Formats: sequence, structure tokens, C-alpha cells
Amino acid sequence: MKSKVLLLAFLAVVQLANAQKYIAKTGHIWFYSHTPMEEIEAHNRQVVSILDSSTGDIVFNLLNKSFEFKVALMQEHFNENYMESTKFPKSTFKGKITNLDKIDLKKDGTYIAEVTGDITIHGVTKNISTVGTIEIANGVITAKAKFKVIPKDYGIQIPQLVENKIAKEMEVTVDISYAVN
Amino acid sequence: MKKIIWFILTFVLLGIIIGIFMWLYAFRKADISVASKKADIEIKAADFLKNFTDNEETANKTYLDKVVLVSGIIDKITEDSTSVSIYLKNPQDMAGVMCGFNKAAIDKSSLRVGDTVRIKGICTGFLMDVVLNKCVIEK
Repeated sequence: MKSKVLLLAFLAVVQLANAQKYIAKTGHIWFYSHTPMEEIEAHNRQVVSILDSSTGDIVFNLLNKSFEFKVALMQEHFNENYMESTKFPKSTFKGKITNLDKIDLKKDGTYIAEVTGDITIHGVTKNISTVGTIEIANGVITAKAKFKVIPKDYGIQIPQLVENKIAKEMEVTVDISYAVN
Repeated sequence: MKKIIWFILTFVLLGIIIGIFMWLYAFRKADISVASKKADIEIKAADFLKNFTDNEETANKTYLDKVVLVSGIIDKITEDSTSVSIYLKNPQDMAGVMCGFNKAAIDKSSLRVGDTVRIKGICTGFLMDVVLNKCVIEK
């Protein structure tokens, strides 16, 4: 009887250990826009992300106003004219790592991660799938990914006047290191 | 004839001067650091957080884009290649205020976890914590 209770307790502990949540609060996401006329990049180093190692659920949340540009005027235009950051303060991604069975979070290495889910920008939600990497070094998990976002898909109108200064596609890069919680 | 040339010359010169001023204005704006700005609002970290957890929408209206001087206890200091983050949180609270610094804007050698500090930054909103960026330590 006693051993049964112990076994159950042991199983419960194993379950808990498996259902670990990894949290990042100072993740880095940046985007890059390239045209022959102008190169623009903006960095957000305050991205919150939660990775659930038992389900593969992965969430990114960021504040649009936390994007920093080299030129303050660009930041102003980004928030006021394009993202309407007062109306839509956050951009989010909610999805899943679909090949979690091939990733051993307890073992150092670099793994390919297939991710699919819903991205919400400017109040518009779209389903996206992309391939990134999960790097584990000394127990620290780092998630990286690169994908394209087309502003027009999210109802963001770029005026004709600046059309050749702002790329049709933004290259978005994700680089996030997690702490165990 | 000479008059016309002078007229054009003055006009062009004036144009150039205005152009330079506009250019300076646009780029100087990037340079105006929070350090030289007066805080719009002074608040304790715990009260700041409470305002957001009580009603995020109202808090957004009050604090977004404002220069906020927040005082609180350092819970954690983290850094990457270009930035430093100081997390202000009361030991009994679940969340706090995340303050982002440009690495050049902070000397963290004298800062320790548990210290009470005053940090000035621009409020960008609320995720799991209230977020400030472009921060400076207020002496």
C-alpha cells in the first residue's frame, strides 16, 4: 500500500517536472525593411514569451510601442500612422511546436522546430507556419525564427508617398532565451 | 537681371537653411533622451502595477508614452549585448515593472538586488508586467 502511494507521488512529481513552463520577459524581436531607397530596422527587447514543454504551446506577446528605431520620427510614424499602437497596443503570436517529440529540452543541442499558430498584428489575426530552431546550451533554451510579414495582409496601408521607402515584406527575426519558472 | 539672380540665390539659400533645420529637428528628436525630460508622473512601482491590473485600458490612457518616474525594489538585473533590464518588484507581489535601458545609459556596477531605486522611462504598456523603456536611473 505504502509503495503504491509512493509510486503515485513519484508519478505526480514526474508529471510536474515534465509540465515545465519556460518564461522570457526580455526577449528580442526585430524587423527589417529593405528597399533601394531606405533601410529600416526596429528592435523590441521586451518581448514576453511562454513555452510549455509538455504541450509545445508557445506564446509571444509584445508591445508595439517598445519597438525602438534609430530615428524617433520613424518610430512616431510606425506607432501613429501604421500600427495605430494606441488602438492596438499589442502584437501576439499563439501557437504550437508541432514536432516536439523530436526536441529534447534536457539535452544540449540545436533542434529544428516547426511552429504553427495565429499571429495578431494591427487587430488582424492570420494563421502562419514557420520553421525555427531551438538551441539548448548549458540548460538555457533559446528559440530563434525568421519569417516574413506583409503589412498589407494586416490592413496596414502604406501611403504612395513613402511606398518606395517601405518594403512590401518585412523580415521578422525572433531571438528569445528562456528561464525556467 | 542681377536682381533676379540675387532673388533666386536668396531663395535657394533660405530653402537650404530651412531644410537643415527640418533635418536637424527630425534627427535631434531621436537624441532627446529621457534624462533631460521632466517626469510627467511620479509613482511607486506597486501602485503603478495596480493601476494596470485594475483596469488596463484606463491605465493605458493615463500612462502610455508618458515619462514616468517609478520607485521600487530591484528584483532582478539582466543584460544582453546591447541592453540592460531592471525588474522592479515587491517580494510579496506576483508582477512588477520591467525597465529597459540602453547599455550606454546605465552604470549598473553600484546596483544590487534588493536596493530601492528611482527609474525614469517611457511607459510602453502592460504585458505580464508594466513596461518602461529608454530608462535612466534617477539620482
